[in-house]
Amino acid sequence: MFPAEFEYHRAASVKEALGLIQQYGDEAKLLSGGHSLLPILKLRLAQPRHLVDIARIAELGQITELGGKISIGAAVRHHQVHTSDLLRDKLGLLAECAGHIGDVQVRNRGTIGGSLAHSDPAADYPAAVLALEGEMRLESAAGARTVKAEDFFIDLMTTALKPGEILTAIAFAPLPAGTGFAYFKHRQPASGFAMVGVAACLTLDSGGKCQRAHVGMTGLGAKAFRAKAVESALNGKAPDAKVLADAAAHAADGIDPLSDIHASADFRAELARVYTRRALESAVARAKR
Amino acid sequence: MKIAGEQTLSAPRERVWALFNDPERLSRLIPGCEKLEVISPTEFAGTLNVGIAAVKGVYTGKLKLEEVRPPEHYKMAVDGKGKQGFMRGAGTLDLVAKGPNETLATYGGDIQIGGPLVQVGQRVIDSAAKMMIGQFFAAADAELKAEAAGTVARQGFLLNFWRYLVRLIRSLFTRG
Repeated sequence: MFPAEFEYHRAASVKEALGLIQQYGDEAKLLSGGHSLLPILKLRLAQPRHLVDIARIAELGQITELGGKISIGAAVRHHQVHTSDLLRDKLGLLAECAGHIGDVQVRNRGTIGGSLAHSDPAADYPAAVLALEGEMRLESAAGARTVKAEDFFIDLMTTALKPGEILTAIAFAPLPAGTGFAYFKHRQPASGFAMVGVAACLTLDSGGKCQRAHVGMTGLGAKAFRAKAVESALNGKAPDAKVLADAAAHAADGIDPLSDIHASADFRAELARVYTRRALESAVARAKR
Repeated sequence: MKIAGEQTLSAPRERVWALFNDPERLSRLIPGCEKLEVISPTEFAGTLNVGIAAVKGVYTGKLKLEEVRPPEHYKMAVDGKGKQGFMRGAGTLDLVAKGPNETLATYGGDIQIGGPLVQVGQRVIDSAAKMMIGQFFAAADAELKAEAAGTVARQGFLLNFWRYLVRLIRSLFTRG
């Protein structure tokens, strides 16, 4: 099906895009990579009168390192994140996660900002962004504010973004030395979405004990979240096989898992425990290297 | 799609029952409800404006209550449609008093959803329904708590006013 008629605006700057969404209000929708929005438009589930394309705004397409932080523009494509030398070097978990998204076509079109703002419960990025404690920069005509990843994902496809705001960049502190990471997922074979995806990031101290453990989980619940019970079961301990397995057993604690024709709630919870253990084992092996 | 769940509400069962039978207050608590009109004591017609992600739509429908046994049980039949899809189904609500000020609401139902909505939303429809039910119960609980607090607050206000009067009268006499 073809989308209903709309007017296409290509914004040249964030300021122009903000002006357009302010001018058209509810009638406008932001377009970035279009991988979530276009199917919805084609089925005419949404019929915005105006599309404001922000994917070609130069300032949103940059990956920069400044003042000890790495900032990724919202319109940076998954493929760029996956292949960037800077990110592979300092934010390996994010680069690895990007390589797991969809397929080549999706990775060449889809953008990090689009994925995070859409906040699909089975999207890959939120798990890694949570584990890396990313900070979202949200800009509106009134100014800019920063929201931590943990406060950004509110509920199913619901984020801290308010009407009139644009997610413009995501900033990260580089991973500390002695950190191992891994992103493991169980793919839905047709869509490539994560039935469960686990991003683990472990920092070991000089004695080989777990100093910092961050585990981001996607696909399991209505929104991506930090598996805090797993993290606290690891902190301060030497991560041997038993400690990792015991920690991973808490992967689905307190979560009401999603359930659909592909995976029941129980199966999803089991996937979460198994993939968490695998991700932790892999992260520890890399941290020791 | 099967729905089942329970929620503890902090109010006596009679008050919860009264709330769940009050279309005017319900219309404020149901997420996206724009209108809920009474057709008969057991029949309501309403308009919902709901949006998740970019998918926003207006749905109109009817809600019919059956097997009404105050203050513990009713069955409801729902039939609604919008441009993007339709839903019809039936569900039950049961209220059990857990304590003088606590009521357990148990709900269950089976709902059929069809139309274009299902094509793109199949993965998330269950979660969307769960989210809206969660929002509804959270709002209902807040409403019940506010209702209780409202009574207390008014009492507090009256008490303070009385004390003020007593002090005022006393001060008049001491000065005299």
